[in-house]
Amino acid sequence: MKQIMFIALLAASAAAAAATPQQLMQTYTELAARQAPGYQPSARRGAELYSRRFAVSDKMPACTACHTDSPVQPGQHAVTGKAIKPLAPRAEAARFSDPAKTEKWFRRNCTEVLGRECSAAEKADFVQFLAEGL
Amino acid sequence: MKKILVWDLPVRLGHWLMAGGFALAWATGDSESWRLVHVFAGGTVTAVALFRLLWGIVGSKHARFSSFVRGPRQALAYLKSLLRFSPQHYTGHNPAGGWAVMLLLILALASGASGWFTYQELGGEWLEELHEFVTGLMLAVVGVHLAGVLVGSLLHGENLPRAMITGRKQGAPGEAIAGQRWLGAMLLLGWAAAGAWWLAR
Repeated sequence: MKQIMFIALLAASAAAAAATPQQLMQTYTELAARQAPGYQPSARRGAELYSRRFAVSDKMPACTACHTDSPVQPGQHAVTGKAIKPLAPRAEAARFSDPAKTEKWFRRNCTEVLGRECSAAEKADFVQFLAEGL
Repeated sequence: MKKILVWDLPVRLGHWLMAGGFALAWATGDSESWRLVHVFAGGTVTAVALFRLLWGIVGSKHARFSSFVRGPRQALAYLKSLLRFSPQHYTGHNPAGGWAVMLLLILALASGASGWFTYQELGGEWLEELHEFVTGLMLAVVGVHLAGVLVGSLLHGENLPRAMITGRKQGAPGEAIAGQRWLGAMLLLGWAAAGAWWLAR
């Protein structure tokens, strides 16, 4: 049921063509509030998630392994060495503008770095931090 | 009918390199830590598929496209013979298997090309989507191929996976190929290593 709601919310944001990071954050916030009423996203928690080291992947222990300590800076792939555009939409406007792409990369990278999928609350915090900074 | 040499060494090596490369590339596709392994495995599959196009022209008898690429009518006739539990026997690829070979080659090349362009960041988002779609399609054809090998093995009373290892299959003595084609096998290994390296740069 939760998933159906989520897909409906995503579809709604996708139907409005390209989404803004704020719309995405809103979607994640609504989902998180279903589990924890009164939930509010926090850039501070998002920043903490961004720099936290997880003991899951040797090469990619944290978001910072590829995206550097600052998400407004260009990054570099920890394995291939390829350049990565800044993750923060403040620095790279295309970031977090496509709900399906956002979901795909949250799924892939959370699974790899955290060893599990991220919760809606974590995603809301994360987008809040990347869109607006601390 | 007796056991004769049907698949030359490049056919067998190419088959298992492709199967292993595809499995490895599939397993590592979603992971960034394994990205280099993924592109190297995919590069191997692509290089082997390219080699197979050449080998389909200059390879030994049963490796040649002319010996097994048949129209849909013959493929359907073969599948119907399976349903009647009296399968038509082909020494080399049966006509349905020939379709699987060609489909897998085309999909491997499409997957390799879209994957390479994605990795080089030429083209954009849609190529990544195409890569995932084509590769999913390829996995589906692999599934059909495996089911066909299982059914064919049971109905013909012949272990077809083992034939792809030893190269030996039931057939008339006159259908046998003359040798293993060691030179072709060396060329394949060199080409696959160089191709995988070049594609993964």
